[in-house]
Amino acid sequence: MPGYAARRLGFAVLQAMFVLVATFAVTALLPGDAASVVLGEQATDEQVATVRHRLGLDQPILDRFGHWFSGLLTGDLGRSLVTGAPVTEEIARRFAATALLAGVTLLVLVPLALGIGVTCGLREGSRIDRVLTSVTLFLHAIPEFVLGLLLVAGFAVYTGLLPATAAGTEPAARPEVLVLPVIVLVARQLCDVARQLRIGIAEQTRGQVAGHLRLLGLPERTVVLRHLLPAAAAPAVQQLARAVEGLLTGTVIVESLFAFTGLGTGFVEAVQNRDVPQVQGYVLTFAVVVVLGNLVADLVAHRLTPQREPAKW
Amino acid sequence: MTRHPLTRRRLLALAALTPLAACGTAPADTGRLRVAFAAGGSKETLDPSQVSLFVDQARAKALFDTLVAYNADTSLRPRLAESWESDDSGTRWRIRLRRAAFHDGRPVTADDVLYTFRRIADPALASSSRQYFAKVDFGRSKAVSPAEIELTLTAPDFEFPSGWGAPGAEIVPAGTTDFTAPVGSGPFRFVSFTPGGPAVFRKNESHWDGAPGIDELEFVPVNEEAARVNALLSGQVDYAHDLAAGTAARLAGDGRVSLLEAKGTTMQGMMLRVTRPPFADPRLMRAVLSGVDREALNRVALAGRGEIGNDLFGKGLRGYATGIPQRGRDVEAARSLVRESGAEGLAFAVETSDVDPGFATAATLISQQLGEIGLKVTPNTRASSTYFSEIKTKGVAALTRTATLPVPTFLNQRFRTGGSNNVNGFASPEFDALMDRAAATPDESARLALFGDAQRIVHESGGLLAWGFSTWTIGVSKRVSGLVSAPPNTFDWARFDRARLS
Repeated sequence: MPGYAARRLGFAVLQAMFVLVATFAVTALLPGDAASVVLGEQATDEQVATVRHRLGLDQPILDRFGHWFSGLLTGDLGRSLVTGAPVTEEIARRFAATALLAGVTLLVLVPLALGIGVTCGLREGSRIDRVLTSVTLFLHAIPEFVLGLLLVAGFAVYTGLLPATAAGTEPAARPEVLVLPVIVLVARQLCDVARQLRIGIAEQTRGQVAGHLRLLGLPERTVVLRHLLPAAAAPAVQQLARAVEGLLTGTVIVESLFAFTGLGTGFVEAVQNRDVPQVQGYVLTFAVVVVLGNLVADLVAHRLTPQREPAKW
Repeated sequence: MTRHPLTRRRLLALAALTPLAACGTAPADTGRLRVAFAAGGSKETLDPSQVSLFVDQARAKALFDTLVAYNADTSLRPRLAESWESDDSGTRWRIRLRRAAFHDGRPVTADDVLYTFRRIADPALASSSRQYFAKVDFGRSKAVSPAEIELTLTAPDFEFPSGWGAPGAEIVPAGTTDFTAPVGSGPFRFVSFTPGGPAVFRKNESHWDGAPGIDELEFVPVNEEAARVNALLSGQVDYAHDLAAGTAARLAGDGRVSLLEAKGTTMQGMMLRVTRPPFADPRLMRAVLSGVDREALNRVALAGRGEIGNDLFGKGLRGYATGIPQRGRDVEAARSLVRESGAEGLAFAVETSDVDPGFATAATLISQQLGEIGLKVTPNTRASSTYFSEIKTKGVAALTRTATLPVPTFLNQRFRTGGSNNVNGFASPEFDALMDRAAATPDESARLALFGDAQRIVHESGGLLAWGFSTWTIGVSKRVSGLVSAPPNTFDWARFDRARLS
């Protein structure tokens, strides 16, 4: 297993490098640069040229990449072209906000998906299975933006039960601002994870092992929790890993709708500002999240299904 | 003693009640005004010389003061400058300061003003307000006394004081280079700020213009317009800046908010590059100007809430040429101009972007309307964050907009040969000479008449299609009083020291 993990990690580093180079090239192809964006509508060519020189944007792209990359090797992600502040500072601040949102979402998502997945899987085709499946599918099908606006209209604007946005609040100090965004995020992810579990449980419960264990007279709870669930969970864990990645990298819509200053909106902003060091910092963060998420998921799946050794590559 | 065992049911009931009890609506704070603006994220700054966003300008206005400020029509009112006068040539200006103090107690002196203007004029700073001070000869300018400054210009300019009220001309204490926790002389003191995050300011009890009516002012970044409106409606913020026309119509009957609407604040137009084909042919430029339907554009792209334009900037502002007849749609005349220049079926693109909510609709409508005079026009959508820098060099026709600023400033930037923002490439020695003569004319009405003549030239051949003026809308909670509608950049806009909370 350590060998497997090491190979996976090595390959992941190569992937991340490729993504970084590609990002640098693509950002260079975008129209305009940080100098023109920062100075705004009224800037003269002369002012743009001054700022461009100050930021080093008048240097060849390979030099800029080389400079950035040598910084990366020493753990320095560089400074924002726009603010001059270290890239790590801004990303760390936004990562904290996003991680809080993602963490609370997981706390709700995992038990809920487990409950629904197991219930539906054990009673495949029953009335409760059909109802729960329809509900989660329905939630999955509503665009996040629409669901968010509906919830805000109902729970914030008309009844005043919950805050409409996180604007101007520290989410850690006023946790109620998390309620509506978490509902939207859970609604989005619940369907996939629960359905994976449902299929796994349904397959297992029909299988010979389950029948044998039940014949041996083991209590149903033990059969499900000790034997069916671990075997059924492997694909669901993979799905959950994807959900975590999604929560940590792509919640732009939820973040902007609820005025959260997280990674998603930060990344969009960095691209709009043509702030290349910042963009690269985000891409690196996302790459690490995706790689780690998949690695952990694979290792967990590996552990859950020890009999299936992954193919060598 | 009776004990209540913590049963599962009890726990559930408690859990269901807690959020209700804990949150309710936002705290009804009577001392703190919360204002929501679209923000620029990490590019925000408290350095007043670097303002490029409305939120930067609003914050600068709270922390700092300018020498003068614009009334709604861009005429001037004194602020830190108590009075000013020039010599007969218009090259030497003497400014007397009122008694005012920075937040740390130091008085605002002539040295601070000189330092500020010299700083803005420094090309290395690349300040957006640099152009207003480019003509100042700092070697020959001096502090006459702590309360009196003498500025010397390299060329006469009787409109020079206008620049002192421009966004970005706020006075900072001499020697300031760091703006992370700035000291100003404005109605509010700095408390905290993170770029892209909230900013909190506290009232300056000893402000020369009287202490503000609120204890604290908090700027809250909310980029999504829907989120801004929701935050306002649910009481999380008291002021939501920049609402779309559709939203304004929807909120008009809502008892929880009042709308501050400033008519005619932003010129909506299309610029034609007169140096390149096809608009190097003035007949085609004229064809486009009389081929569009300004009424229809106003009705559709501005939701009927704006006003039509007459291909000139600054309707309602000081110096706007009111005597020029309104240009209307004349399909026949436009068609024959197209035929005459042999351009029937000519294809070109209108550059547009979603930088302004009305642009997309306007581009489509203009394309259709010009189709009716025999041109094949297609909208070309560009990235919004770099749109205005891109259209400086690319394309022949581009949608554009300009917020409130003095008419002479606009004319100098946009139409003077080599002007700082002359994207049309317009060059007319006659126009330049008129602008110079106007700047050197001491008598105000004679000067404005000359600016009027300059606008006549631009109206004929400048290549600007100013089809409308949009309305600027702000939503304010009913518990706020003391705010009035005003165009951005003018004195009353985002003037939060006048606000009161109930």
